[in-house]
Amino acid sequence: MRSRVTAMADLFAAAEAPDARRPATAPSAAVSPPPPPQQETARARPRHLWYAVVFPAGPEGMNVSLERLCLHAQRFTPWVSIEPPDALLLEIRGSVKLFGSLAALHADIDAAWSALKLRAQSSTAPSTLAALWLARAGQKALIEDAGSLAGRLAKLPVACTSWDIARLSTLRTMGVSRIGELMRLPRAGIARRFGRAAVLDLDIALARQPAPRRAFAARERFRERCDFETEVETVAYVQKALDPIIERCAKFLRERQAGVQALELKLKHRTEPVTRVRLGLASVTGDPLRLADVSMQKLSRLELAAPILSMELRSGRLQPLSADSLDVFACLGGAGGRDTAPQLVERLRARLGEEAVYGICPVPEHRPEAAWQRVHALQTDAVPHAVRRNHRRADEAPDMPRPVWLLNEPARLADADIVELHRSRSMLEEGPERIESGWWDGKDVARDYYIVRQAGGARLWIFQERRSKCWYVHGVFA
Amino acid sequence: MPREALSLGSILADARVWKLSSSFRDASAGHSPSRPVWSTGRSALDARLPGGGWPTASLIEVLLDAPGLGEVQLFLPALVQSQKVPGETPWLVWIAPPHEPFAPALAQHGIDLDRLLVVRPVSATEALWAAEQALGSGVCAAVLLWLKGTDDRWLRRLKLAAEAGGALGVLFRPERHRFESSPAALRLLLTRGNDQPRLDILKIQGGRPGPVELDCSAPVALSASISS
Repeated sequence: MRSRVTAMADLFAAAEAPDARRPATAPSAAVSPPPPPQQETARARPRHLWYAVVFPAGPEGMNVSLERLCLHAQRFTPWVSIEPPDALLLEIRGSVKLFGSLAALHADIDAAWSALKLRAQSSTAPSTLAALWLARAGQKALIEDAGSLAGRLAKLPVACTSWDIARLSTLRTMGVSRIGELMRLPRAGIARRFGRAAVLDLDIALARQPAPRRAFAARERFRERCDFETEVETVAYVQKALDPIIERCAKFLRERQAGVQALELKLKHRTEPVTRVRLGLASVTGDPLRLADVSMQKLSRLELAAPILSMELRSGRLQPLSADSLDVFACLGGAGGRDTAPQLVERLRARLGEEAVYGICPVPEHRPEAAWQRVHALQTDAVPHAVRRNHRRADEAPDMPRPVWLLNEPARLADADIVELHRSRSMLEEGPERIESGWWDGKDVARDYYIVRQAGGARLWIFQERRSKCWYVHGVFA
Repeated sequence: MPREALSLGSILADARVWKLSSSFRDASAGHSPSRPVWSTGRSALDARLPGGGWPTASLIEVLLDAPGLGEVQLFLPALVQSQKVPGETPWLVWIAPPHEPFAPALAQHGIDLDRLLVVRPVSATEALWAAEQALGSGVCAAVLLWLKGTDDRWLRRLKLAAEAGGALGVLFRPERHRFESSPAALRLLLTRGNDQPRLDILKIQGGRPGPVELDCSAPVALSASISS
């Protein structure tokens, strides 16, 4: 029943405007004449009934977020919408019958806020903005009839529209302090002075224009807890208990056509702080084998600080599966076809740590130490070699050969080393190549690079710092 | 159905399966045609190796007395070739390299850096484990591993993993291990020479051990690999 209501609500929202909070601009015509009043049908049965609640303390003054409050509100209706910064809108037409009467339903919802010890002002009206304005004004109104909206709204101060300050102060200088006075002004004049959005707001408030809202959808996560009958001291037992949970997690993901990139395993002890184990995956997946593989590698390395009372597996954010993960030929890569690259990467990472497995890429930069960087987000998808961009290196290739190894820090050559280099028939093979760069970020270098072949045949990449005239080794031609 | 055909093919490709015909061919022609070889980029060395290049699906051990003798450059042309095999996703894995691999240099040589993985394990056991995983995974074309020391049992595991995964495994070790036994199919010794590094083949399956005349003028090899 509930799900059907959601579906219908979604259909409605999709049909009118996919992402409508408050449409900023009105339809195209300069100022449209007021839409024909739908009073006959509206009086008989307005399509929607909106319950608006405003929390005057504002988002900072509350200890719960509006998203959390939406979850509470979803007890009453599936169609809950957030009105930032401090209000919620609930469509309650469909729930009135279930709760007996509108008054009972309204009181029930209000009770939910007072149970949470939140100060709230609420109102019910056939249009979103009317309910919201009435709630902001602090009036507890229960209006079912669209025809009486104009009369009720007329008495409200203009400030409860929460329009911007400039617009409100212009209204004040015009001597308009009530909404009724505003409604009496000519539409074209309002539109010229305040923009068409103001006219549209009035139409929405009077239920002359539809104002579709997107329903709040709770974020889904997989979460399962397992309490052990006795305290568990061995990781092997944890692994055994975790396997069915991972199986259920994979099923949960499969039902939603989603995957995750990280899981978190919390192990609770009697006194020690909770042990958190992060299971990172190289790509978004919902494959139980990969999840189990990573958890096994992680757990096999785990040393328990204390016996475990209970554990909990939580998924990270659900992400849609990409088409690459479903590639039918992915298993054909490589000779054996047993593994895929993401699997290998995440197995290595699970045991050696996230930071221990990385790729490298060149950076267009003259200073050698800045000419490369580590890449931790690896492209593990099976893109054929020819498709990927590979023209990069042609225009950036330096003239002089670069060494395979770059030392982390240039190693200073003592005078004795230089004498030794001279004495042992070492040869300068190439050079100098002057690299002078980096004055803009404080890591200024001015160096002359040479390739030197030592007597035994080893080749080094050395440079002379031009200011200090000192010699350094910076790389090895391995 | 295709699944079964694939698994049969993979069983036959597995080096642990002894095939009568191919082992006769091995003995007569000196190499198995089912395994590709990758040229070393040096004709003198190619001529000495059975099949004319580095054998894949095997373990090669390089013993060094000092870094900087061009030991990685011996393998760079082969690594570039291995990444050009069509229809595969050839990854290169470098485990515990002694310094940071310098990305511009590798790009200069023509290596596809999007398919290069650097692994920095904290201990030798972790390094060996990572090498075994990478070699046996079937997604790596070549795995290069730098180690100070290890034991025979681990080397045998690496050799089996390399044969199962069809990858080229290269192990760099200090020269002091030259008198230890090793299951590697090919053992090379790279030492400081008079003017140029000396390369000796210590052990070779289907070939003749002995010193190799290396023209180590790297710029020639470099320009050749860029133009290819």
